[in-house]
Amino acid sequence: MSTSAVDTLISACIRFLQAYPPFEQMEAAALRFLAERVRLQHYPKGARILSTEMGVAHALYIIHRGRVRAKSTVGLGSGETTSSTLGPGQAFAIGALMAQRPTFGSYEAVDEVFCYELAADDFFALTQKSSAFNLFCTQHIAGLLKQSQQQLQLQFAQRAAEQKTMNSPLAAVVKREAVAVATTASIREVVELMAERHLGSMVVVDEQEVPVGIFTLSDVLKRIVLPGASLAQPIATVMSPAPATLPLAANAHDAALLMAMRGIRHVLAVDEGGRLRGVVSERDLFKLQGAGLRQIRHAIDAANSLEVLQHARRDVRQLSLTMLAEGVGAAEITQFISTLNDTVTRRIIELNLERHDLYGIDWAWLSFGSEGRDEQTFTTDQDNGIVFICTDIMDRELTQLRFLDFARDVNADLDRCGFPLCKGNIMASNPDLCLTLEEWEERFARWVRMPEPQALLNATIFFDFRPLFGRFNLAHRLRRELFRQTRGNPLFLRMLAENALSVAPPLGRIRDFVTSTDPEHPGTIDLKTYGVRLFTDAARVFALANAVEATNTVQRLRRAGAVMNIGTDDLAASIEGFNFIQLLRLRHQHFEQEHGRPGDNLIRPDDLNEIERRVLKEAFRQARKLQARLKLDYQL
Amino acid sequence: MSWFSRLLGARDIPGVALTARQEQLLGGWQQLPDADLRRSHYRSRYVVIDVEASTGNPDTARLLSIAAVAVIDGQISFLDAWRLVLEEQAAGADPVPSPAVAATESLAGSSLADELISFLGFVGKAPMVAYNARFVRRLLQRTLAEHLGVRLRLPWLDLAWILPDLFREVDAGPARLDAWLEHFGISSIRRHEALSDALATAQLMQIAVAHAARKGIDTPANLRELEKARRHMHQSA
Repeated sequence: MSTSAVDTLISACIRFLQAYPPFEQMEAAALRFLAERVRLQHYPKGARILSTEMGVAHALYIIHRGRVRAKSTVGLGSGETTSSTLGPGQAFAIGALMAQRPTFGSYEAVDEVFCYELAADDFFALTQKSSAFNLFCTQHIAGLLKQSQQQLQLQFAQRAAEQKTMNSPLAAVVKREAVAVATTASIREVVELMAERHLGSMVVVDEQEVPVGIFTLSDVLKRIVLPGASLAQPIATVMSPAPATLPLAANAHDAALLMAMRGIRHVLAVDEGGRLRGVVSERDLFKLQGAGLRQIRHAIDAANSLEVLQHARRDVRQLSLTMLAEGVGAAEITQFISTLNDTVTRRIIELNLERHDLYGIDWAWLSFGSEGRDEQTFTTDQDNGIVFICTDIMDRELTQLRFLDFARDVNADLDRCGFPLCKGNIMASNPDLCLTLEEWEERFARWVRMPEPQALLNATIFFDFRPLFGRFNLAHRLRRELFRQTRGNPLFLRMLAENALSVAPPLGRIRDFVTSTDPEHPGTIDLKTYGVRLFTDAARVFALANAVEATNTVQRLRRAGAVMNIGTDDLAASIEGFNFIQLLRLRHQHFEQEHGRPGDNLIRPDDLNEIERRVLKEAFRQARKLQARLKLDYQL
Repeated sequence: MSWFSRLLGARDIPGVALTARQEQLLGGWQQLPDADLRRSHYRSRYVVIDVEASTGNPDTARLLSIAAVAVIDGQISFLDAWRLVLEEQAAGADPVPSPAVAATESLAGSSLADELISFLGFVGKAPMVAYNARFVRRLLQRTLAEHLGVRLRLPWLDLAWILPDLFREVDAGPARLDAWLEHFGISSIRRHEALSDALATAQLMQIAVAHAARKGIDTPANLRELEKARRHMHQSA
């Protein structure tokens, strides 16, 4: 080797690279590192440079001369490919290289092609050395994420299109079989039937099954109870005659119009013979429209019974599905679910406050865990507690008993409204979680001072607290005290970081993913434990270390990231990674529930399409990056 | 001392005085095993050479510089290159001689032997490749015999003969390296400078090897046969 010769060749290589992005932005030392390690390889015209069959990508390719045709498969099984031509200065196989997997699609030499090739190890070393190059790769991956999200949205849009719309004929809208009675039926019979079947209205038909009247619950009060009508009378005497009917072929929009014009809440669907075929209620149409957020909130706020709230919960689910279909991001959907669940919970608390007198006491209802982070999915159980102020220590026991009574009722009502009781008993009705402000503070302080395993576990649940009802300033005080404790105990944060690192992203060395060895769920990944947790745990440490008050993972990453000088692109990439995992969870839970199974978080990577697998892998890589930052910060 | 080294077989031509260290290095090179010419191109190391000389006659020209670039397993690494500048070319032919390079590389006779030994060390026993190999070989052999007392007996490949055979449709004309570079669009860092030309020639070698392999000519030995056959045909015609 002769240094002057080597220098000449390397300088020439650097001059070439500097004519193209991202190399023109690269630091001199990094560029030299690159030029020293590349090897110039030639591919004759028509040669296949890289393809899926060649296995895991082992090098980065930078075209020096000639053109390369890149073909990539767009979606799984669609067979659709896009083709593009790459020229000098363009690099390829970044995505495959970063994910340490085979490339999708193929690269072929259009003419005599010379490529600079950088071995995988050197490629990773370069991403460490050069922030400009790292940024370039990150943006490349972010582009992939976007591409995949568009695909997901497309899938859901197709599904939404199959769903009923306001243009659907009534035949498709009516669900239950119409329940009708003859004109001769007695009022007593009708009312009994309505009560038994939980019906809000009853259609009265003649011998030909043609509807002649309708009788609703509100008529009971006005036409029977107040006038003191005899229950033995035939229903025909109190029904509203000439009910509004539409042919089955009419669409939902016609029904909505008729209801609006006549100020009625039910429209009867009839066949050509005028015979009753079904009842369309305002609620049915409401669901079709995809109830808006405001309408549902309004319904919840006005609810005066648990039943209405149960309905509202179903509407929340329906609406979140519609949002999923419309391509609304996971962050917005989980936030939306949390907001509406909050509203339901608040209403349940209010309803219970009518029966429990807590007047004169300062207190707040707290949410923990995913609810505390505003990250609820379709399946979520209760995680809540109570904080209260007790001015007189003598009253403490008694006050707590009153709160526990109250909390038991709220927990039970929440359970009835679709928030299952917490198996781990993390509920306000647990005396351990219904405490005075001082007791909470003391408890938090103890966990921080003595970070034993259980304390760390508790921290991951309870430190994500958020006030839901009552005196929000109690939560604020609690948070300030928590920061005071964590600031004074660097060891705690270190232990918490260590705890966060106890679960690694399920990325395999040989296979793409490390899947569960549980014989009951082979080939799956639990996206809660091995997915979102990676992000939430890291974000929690960041937030506590930087006194970020937010509990939401995305907000924590944004705010703490700004303080920690994490680049905006890196930050955006990790947030997108987190959101992508959440989106997969939501979709999976929805699918499971649609098939009558309890929604779990077990994803089979083999069931995902190529791009999804690739993006999931990138998402895990983002989690690994966050973990790397923890390792660095806490020297772990 | 010369009888002793002749006994060891390190030196072919007596009468050149070398230091013990130089003798030792040269002996080490001599004893390297010959390259196996029957391995695939992509398992072989070729050394592509270019020289600058004072005139076009190999028997009288002075060697001005030597440059070599290795093609290993079909690839070029920029860390695997060698150059020696003995004398700057006449002004005008080489407009921007770097003074630093000139200072370190223009050598006094005493260390020229060291440089040539280092060159042999870089080459090893790899097959040598050049464009117009006969001229390069003659010049190198003369220089090595003169300064080291060594007869260079390595296999040579001449792209000026090989390329026309592989690409019969290309009319490059005899001895036109420029034409080939232009045909394949290979740009030179600085044309007519030995290292630049060696790199450009190495890229031609990569192309030649890839196309030869497609025709089943997949080892250095096969390439030599191809060259021999073509020479035979054309020179006897």
